[in-house]
Amino acid sequence: MIRHLFHVLGREASGPLKRLLALMVGAAVLQGVAFALLVPLLRTLFSRGPGHAWPWLVAFAGCSLGYAVVQALCLSQGFTVGSRISRVLHRRLADKALDLPVGWFTGTRAAELGRLASQNVIQVMNMPAHLLRPMISSVFTPVTLVLAAFLFDWRVGVVLLLCAPVLLGVHVWSTRMVRRLDRGRDTAIDESADRVLEFAQNQPVLRAFGRTVDGHADLENALRAESDADRTLIVRGVPGLVSFAFAARMVFALALALQVAWALDGTLAAPTLIALVVLTGRLVDSVSASADLGAGLRIARNNLERLDAVLEETPFPQPTDPKVPTGTAVEFDQVSFTYPKTVASSTNGAAVAPPAVLDGISLRLPERGLTALVGPSGAGKTTVARLLARFWDTTAGTVRIGGVDVRDIAPERLAATVAIVFQDVYLFDDTIEENVRIGAPDASAERIRRAAELSGMDRVVAELPDGWATRVGERGTALSGGQRQRISIARALLKDAPILVLDEATAALDPENEAILESAIAELAVEKSLLVIAHRLRTVLAADQILVLEGGRISEQGTHSELVDAGGTYSDFWRERTRAEGWRLAAR
Amino acid sequence: MTERPAPTTAPHAAGRPPLRRILYGVRRRIAVAFVLQAAGSIAGVVPFIAVTLIAERLTAGTAPSGGRLWPLASLACAGGLAAMVLGFTAGVVAHLADNRLQLGLRLDLARHIGRMPLGRVSAAGTGELKSAIQDDVHALHSLVAHTLLDATALLTAPLLALAYLLTIDWRLALLSVLPLAAGVYLFGRAMAGAKANMAEYGAAQSRISSAAVEFANGIAVVKSFGRGRRAHARFLAATDGFSEFFTGWVRATLIPSTAALLVVTPVVVLLVLVTAGVVFTGAGWTPVVDLVPFVLLGPVVSAPMGLVGARMQQIRTGQAAAARITALLDAPVLPEPAVPAAPADARVSMRGVSFSYDGSTDVLKDIDMDLEPGTVTALVGPSGSGKSTLAALLLRFHDVTTGTVTIGDADVRAIPAADLYRHVGFVLQDVRLLRATVADNVRLGRPEATDEEVKRAARAAQIHDRITALPKGYATVVGTDVVLSGGEAQRLSIARALLADTPIVVLDEATAFADPRSESLIQDALSTLAFGRTLLVIAHRLATVRSADRIVVLDGGRIAEQGRHEELLAAAGRYARMWRSQGLDASVDLTAPTASRDTSRPDLTPKGTHR
Repeated sequence: MIRHLFHVLGREASGPLKRLLALMVGAAVLQGVAFALLVPLLRTLFSRGPGHAWPWLVAFAGCSLGYAVVQALCLSQGFTVGSRISRVLHRRLADKALDLPVGWFTGTRAAELGRLASQNVIQVMNMPAHLLRPMISSVFTPVTLVLAAFLFDWRVGVVLLLCAPVLLGVHVWSTRMVRRLDRGRDTAIDESADRVLEFAQNQPVLRAFGRTVDGHADLENALRAESDADRTLIVRGVPGLVSFAFAARMVFALALALQVAWALDGTLAAPTLIALVVLTGRLVDSVSASADLGAGLRIARNNLERLDAVLEETPFPQPTDPKVPTGTAVEFDQVSFTYPKTVASSTNGAAVAPPAVLDGISLRLPERGLTALVGPSGAGKTTVARLLARFWDTTAGTVRIGGVDVRDIAPERLAATVAIVFQDVYLFDDTIEENVRIGAPDASAERIRRAAELSGMDRVVAELPDGWATRVGERGTALSGGQRQRISIARALLKDAPILVLDEATAALDPENEAILESAIAELAVEKSLLVIAHRLRTVLAADQILVLEGGRISEQGTHSELVDAGGTYSDFWRERTRAEGWRLAAR
Repeated sequence: MTERPAPTTAPHAAGRPPLRRILYGVRRRIAVAFVLQAAGSIAGVVPFIAVTLIAERLTAGTAPSGGRLWPLASLACAGGLAAMVLGFTAGVVAHLADNRLQLGLRLDLARHIGRMPLGRVSAAGTGELKSAIQDDVHALHSLVAHTLLDATALLTAPLLALAYLLTIDWRLALLSVLPLAAGVYLFGRAMAGAKANMAEYGAAQSRISSAAVEFANGIAVVKSFGRGRRAHARFLAATDGFSEFFTGWVRATLIPSTAALLVVTPVVVLLVLVTAGVVFTGAGWTPVVDLVPFVLLGPVVSAPMGLVGARMQQIRTGQAAAARITALLDAPVLPEPAVPAAPADARVSMRGVSFSYDGSTDVLKDIDMDLEPGTVTALVGPSGSGKSTLAALLLRFHDVTTGTVTIGDADVRAIPAADLYRHVGFVLQDVRLLRATVADNVRLGRPEATDEEVKRAARAAQIHDRITALPKGYATVVGTDVVLSGGEAQRLSIARALLADTPIVVLDEATAFADPRSESLIQDALSTLAFGRTLLVIAHRLATVRSADRIVVLDGGRIAEQGRHEELLAAAGRYARMWRSQGLDASVDLTAPTASRDTSRPDLTPKGTHR
């Protein structure tokens, strides 16, 4: 586990930790030597009287004080090193996050990263002080004591030495057993946590359909299953938990019995026996301390594994010799894409192999002009946008911008070339102005005004009492969906990238603001390459080319009138949308 | 385990401090564990006493005899074993008590949440509720299963040891308390300001967590704007802040806290006692053999000090968790009517209704509105005008602040919850499906419905074909085997409402995210659901509801105007302005040449002709 810790920390932070571990071993050995010195001290007290005990007492005192000094260093260094560990781990996590593909960060992963950075790192930070020190002391003090026993009576030494592997074996066996049982319980805990969340989130539905706890059997069953798993662990885990303590007591009993027997046959002097019993007592006491560390060790191992899992993720390959695109025309050449298994399972909860989202699509976006991408939900439209911005790399095929593979373009240049407005808007907990300025921190007031006008942002700002200085709240929750969407459009426009992707950017806009955006799109298409993903076909009408994506393939391509005449999926869509717009709701 | 745990928080336990109240139901089991643990601790001191006696007999001057030593050696071993067995039994009893407590508390909490007003439930946030049921209950575990017993052991053994030592030599015994006293004093110094610092520690920790979540959630934006380094720096600023705070805190208390731990370590305690022992025996105040019990038991007297910090922290955590749990259990529940009323028919009427979430600003003001049986009433208005809140009052997700909401002349507050929802159903924008089979999700409102009825509802809701295409058909588990798209989930919830077959339905018309095909299917399903029912529709697009029997225009929580589409257009008021600004008067004719605008009800039933 210590090796695991070094691994997670990386090379740069391992020096101070190594020195700290050496200090801890030193403290443990000094403690053992101090205990061992009690033997000659007591022996002298009993056999020759207090007057002769002073030299041994001085030795004992010297050793004790040495121990106190080293131990004090361990305690203070433990915190210093811990604090350093937290810095290093936070930095490594943050660096790692920058190296991972954007697509890696699902909602679950973001939450997990938050937990890792707060709880897990802090628990690891406390490891040196709260776990490593007692652990090292529970190993090195007993070892010193066993070695010392040889000096006083070799038979006692041999007996204690023989007991060591037995204790170790029992320890390993019991930890494994408890860990195995723990795993079964973890599954039950996860299930019931899921059900509790479901119960809380679905209160309106559950109540309206008459389901209280007693009617929502899934929740009650999950809670009972967790409780049963817990009981199983308690009852079945007892042998595992008792065995080590039992073994330690047995060592004491055996040593005591043998010493009494040897005292009776005259081979062990009474003062030595008394001193050795004291020593055995201290030995058993130090060893037993390790039994209490079991839970802490399991948690620490778990923490390290989780940190390791993130730190060991394959980083996104960056070009070593970046190429500069000539122009901004986009080309997808036989592109296929399948989401990595882990992402699919974390968003779906299903462990099945994910199907291909894109299946050998080829498309071109000219340097200027409007391309619309339409298709049923789940057809892979958003994936096309993600691959263009290189949130993921293709499974097969190539995405090129200006004739250069996106994998060969330096990340900063790629970011400057492509601007995307996402379906789910993400705003930082800051002012509206700061959120828009992310697009171009040094933009002039004039450019900001222009972006605001095109996106309809100027109206948002006018609606709000604090205007540009309005704080958007955590994740932008202080604003309405339409306001948030306009901010995200404004910041993409401010960035003024030659390629602009709008993924369902109008979904939350009311018809009035949608109209504003539509005219902006028409204006922008004159000088930029625009890719618009839309369900509302009105946005699509004016496109220079329409691509219909269905089941991961491009099924149709052309202008609005061409496609309506073709009588394919697009014309079906058009008919249904037209009918939908004429639909009204009525009773009777 | 089929036995239902007794309610943990019996009414007569009310008024006690939170922790005692929560532990009330398992107090006997905890008491048993206490006694076992105390007995175990006492047994744990026995071996030391036995060894002391052995030492006495060995040094008594007469030759040692087996008959005098073996019983004592056996006693030492037996004491050790008994201590272990008693200690573990106490642990098992405490764990089982905790196990019972946890299940009981979780069920109690879940039941209570099920009876709290919905508005309160959503205000609390699902995160808070989940953390009460899972995390807070779990936080009691260390307290009930470990800390209480540890505390017993830590008090019993030292006291017994001290008592025994006093019988040997009271002066040395008092000296053995010295390290403990020093430890207590130093610990107190180290803990000065701990409370404020602990709060800051927690705050700094949650700052890291939200900085990390913000960093991860915003990564797409950050990276696509080439601003990775800046967000990176923001996150690291939060973590460095924590690190600095922590280092500062540790540095300020380093000397007393290190000294507090050192002074009670066995080595230091032994140093004090042995030095005193050599002096005492040298001066002839104490026989040498009397030092043996001090060397053996001296460290036991001071041992608790080393653990007290961690235990106190656990007790505090447990108390805080208990306080949160009892606060939730004490949250008022939705009052059940004393005299239950039954709705006479499906007529809904609101009289003088006002509503406020926070008690100061009214979200709705003086609403008078009637829904005639079998008619469609549409709520329109800008976002934030109170449409959803008004609909929520009919569903009794909240209770009105003033005024009344009646269904068939019965006040909704007087209708028992189960009866109310036999009259009112809903299809909301935020569709909630349970992790259960498709069939069970449809069956939610009528568990006894047959498979045939489920299928009929699914067919009417235009979702049957999609379900049969799923790997396990109706037995497919939603969320595990399949993730349904927004449009599919919405149709499933319409099937659910159809099967529940309530005469009144609240509908949130939202098809913004659906692609054209599923939007059409949803519309067909809604038309089926609307048929013959009293409908309250929250409308986002005016075109959808222009044939409604009544359109209610909300503005700033008040009814601005109401009437039929044509009447409202003629009135040239707020509605007419909205209609014009949506550009509908022009576009409908252009985009919907096939839709007949003037026949009164062209869309009553699924058309089924479009495919």
